[in-house]
Amino acid sequence: MNDSLPRVRRRSAGSVLPVSLLLLVLLPLLLMPLAAIYIFAGSSGLAGFWEALRQPDAQFALRFSVLIAFATAIINGVLGTFAAYVLSKYRFRGREALLVIVNLPVAIPTVVVGTSLLLLWGPIGLLGRVLDPLGIQPMFMPAGVLLAHLFVTFPYMLGAVKPVLDELEVTYEEAAYTIGANRWQTFRFVILPALRGGLFAGTLLTFAHSLGEFGATVLVSGNLRLRTQTAPLYIFAQFEAGNIETANAVAAVLATLSFVLFLILQRFTQRVVERPS
Amino acid sequence: MSIVLTNLTKRFGRVLVVNNVSLSIPEGELFVLLGGSGSGKSTILRMIAGLTEVDSGRIELGGRDVTDLPPQARNVGFVFQNYSIFRHMTVAENVEFGLRIRGAPAAERQQRRDELLELVGLTGLGDRYSNQLSGGQQQRVALARALAYQPEVLLLDEPFGALDVKIRAQLRASLKEIQKRLGITTILVTHDQEEAFELADRIGLIERGSLIEVGTPQDLYYRPQTEYTAVFIGGGNVLVGRNVDNAISLGSVRLPFPEEAPVHEPGAPVRVMFRPETVVVKSSPDQMGQAHVLGRGRVIEQVFTGPARRMRLEIEGLQGVRPLVPPPAYGQLAAHIEALVPGSEAEAISSSAVGELWVGLTDYHVLAPTGPKILICSDGSAVDEAAAFGMRLARAAHGPATLLAVVPASGEVAAARARLESLIEQQGMQGHSQLVASVRQGIAHAEILTETQEGSYEMVVLGRSPDAAGRPLGIGTTGQEILAQARVPVMLVSSGRSTIERILICTAAGEPGKSDVLFGGRLARWTGAFATIFHVHAAGAPAHERTRSEKHLRQAQRSLEMLGVKSECAIGDGEPLRVILEKAEAGDYDLLVIGAPAPRVPQRFVWRDLATQIVAGTQRPVVVVPMQER
Repeated sequence: MNDSLPRVRRRSAGSVLPVSLLLLVLLPLLLMPLAAIYIFAGSSGLAGFWEALRQPDAQFALRFSVLIAFATAIINGVLGTFAAYVLSKYRFRGREALLVIVNLPVAIPTVVVGTSLLLLWGPIGLLGRVLDPLGIQPMFMPAGVLLAHLFVTFPYMLGAVKPVLDELEVTYEEAAYTIGANRWQTFRFVILPALRGGLFAGTLLTFAHSLGEFGATVLVSGNLRLRTQTAPLYIFAQFEAGNIETANAVAAVLATLSFVLFLILQRFTQRVVERPS
Repeated sequence: MSIVLTNLTKRFGRVLVVNNVSLSIPEGELFVLLGGSGSGKSTILRMIAGLTEVDSGRIELGGRDVTDLPPQARNVGFVFQNYSIFRHMTVAENVEFGLRIRGAPAAERQQRRDELLELVGLTGLGDRYSNQLSGGQQQRVALARALAYQPEVLLLDEPFGALDVKIRAQLRASLKEIQKRLGITTILVTHDQEEAFELADRIGLIERGSLIEVGTPQDLYYRPQTEYTAVFIGGGNVLVGRNVDNAISLGSVRLPFPEEAPVHEPGAPVRVMFRPETVVVKSSPDQMGQAHVLGRGRVIEQVFTGPARRMRLEIEGLQGVRPLVPPPAYGQLAAHIEALVPGSEAEAISSSAVGELWVGLTDYHVLAPTGPKILICSDGSAVDEAAAFGMRLARAAHGPATLLAVVPASGEVAAARARLESLIEQQGMQGHSQLVASVRQGIAHAEILTETQEGSYEMVVLGRSPDAAGRPLGIGTTGQEILAQARVPVMLVSSGRSTIERILICTAAGEPGKSDVLFGGRLARWTGAFATIFHVHAAGAPAHERTRSEKHLRQAQRSLEMLGVKSECAIGDGEPLRVILEKAEAGDYDLLVIGAPAPRVPQRFVWRDLATQIVAGTQRPVVVVPMQER
């Protein structure tokens, strides 16, 4: 009974003004732009929409984006979990500094990330200068795009898994040890299952961010169609060329994909919150 | 499987958490480690399980040395206070986990799981997850999980600490029953006395990392060996009396020594402990029956507790008796004692003559006398012979000791502490439970005197550095100040002897002392040394003086006999200083004991002179004992 009390109050007549004010602000800010994508995408009819999507460039861009996002999510899923485990369970010199560094990609503008990757791997970069003559050059290649995406999305996995690990009592592991499980068995049967929620959320976040990444990608990919052009780059290129409909069609697909991921994530986190631990 | 711990020691940084703990637990015993928070009891348990590394010492489980084995290889069952049930596994999966890790076939796992769930009373709950269980149920799962793979020992770390009182009682009963049925050697850690009493075959009391006492609950309750146990376990009364003519003198009250009482030296303090329920309170002395009468008393305070009434009583006859527990209030004259009087009797008392009560004891217990408490002052040199000698003495005497350094400035504290630690290590006494290092900042003699008083030490050991004039055997200003002001014996050491086998107790000339003989005797008892009581007659002393001092020497020898010290008497003639120094050289004594009158006695200069001259005249360690005023 007590729980329902504030809810009743929120529904009272007094809420009409603040709620409508909020909607008024959000309408041009968030809701209308989102709607615009779909309106424009469908402006030349379903046939035009399909036509735009059937173009080889568009197909490639979408497939390439999803592929890169998958690869990023898997690699960063493993790396991020490992980083979270080390940073959560071990106390060592420089741990604080390392914590700041691994979270840094969130704060750095993505264009700066792209630039710095070019300055490292590019033909005149620090490493590139040595590797380029040997025929190793990740920049303007799919590998370069992957590198950029790994960099930019690294903190998401860490952010999702580390809090769960921090919350996990030391005795949880110790219980497994005394029962006879070795380190690997403890990780595999005791820790990993406890991390399920964090792993899922982290992977999904990484995937979503990778799907939409633009700033770093545009610099390291060279924006080469049918080779390194991701969906966001394709949309940008089509806009620049004046093919607004084509751009919009791909944008609508990307937006839908993101919505779905977001909804899954939302549902999932809600379930975690509702389940008492 | 038996559990044997040998000299187990653990430090976290600079803090000594577990201090030289040795313990042997026979197969099938339920042993409870009892102690306050931060006492190190959990650390001991974790070391046995292999969850915390051992600094030094050894752990054996069933005769197998497991000190360096990882937890997985020790085959112990461990139950944590926070249950630590694996949340993503069902109850059944939790219980089976140990068997699954060991690769047991499914059929065996299921059978064992069902047995265990029945054992802990959770039959039918195998499919639940931990969030569908109450705290008590979760702890039952944890117990089943820890027993599933048939561990050699069961370790429980405050297992019922997070549960409410009623559930706790149920679980205790279950645990005791299960433990007895399986016959598994078990250690349970708790801070809860009631729990310890209810469960334990034996209890080990832990305080600041040291194992204070081990015994059955009855032993610890009725016959504790140490003051700490008497105070920590149950509400108790501890009064300090004195051994007078082989009886315990408590103010005007005399109590006989109980048969099992440890031997006390004549005149030594005797700590008498009795429990509140052994105090008898009646309205007239005729009703006392077999109880030992303490005398008339009055009620200071009383609380109704249901079946009994808890009273705080003031006893006339106990005026001037020092109570240890309950701690005396400021300005309190007579010792207060706690009594627990059955309800019906309490009603009878309060209805009869008001204020006129008689108090007696049906039972009391005498605590073991402790070794001397020694303050060892380091003179600041790297090879500190006085400190080394003092530490050897403290070790021989089994008494608590403090190694003290005084520095003039706060900046030198750390260096001084490091030096003390290295001195302790030179003596191989690191981790010794009764030896602590301490650094004070200020003027040397003032700080030493303050520490002596605050710590109620029984002796001060002081080094002799060359004095201002460069004489190697001078006493120095610090030494002089301490000799003049200290109320306890002061030992002056220039070069230490490796052992103390022969002690020369000089009663010198004039009025023969008693305190010097008794203290010399105690020193001899602690060190197992042979004592020579030596008296010097001034040249041309009258005959009646000689007979008197001979009589005194015989008495002194008898006193030493009572202490269990072997001794001889000797008499010298001539100038006391010269005769004593010659005697010391001739007998190659390891230690000289000499009495000096208390500072307020007028002839102090004469006497002090003899004492200081003896000190200055020999390289041997000398103890100057202040004479008690009469």
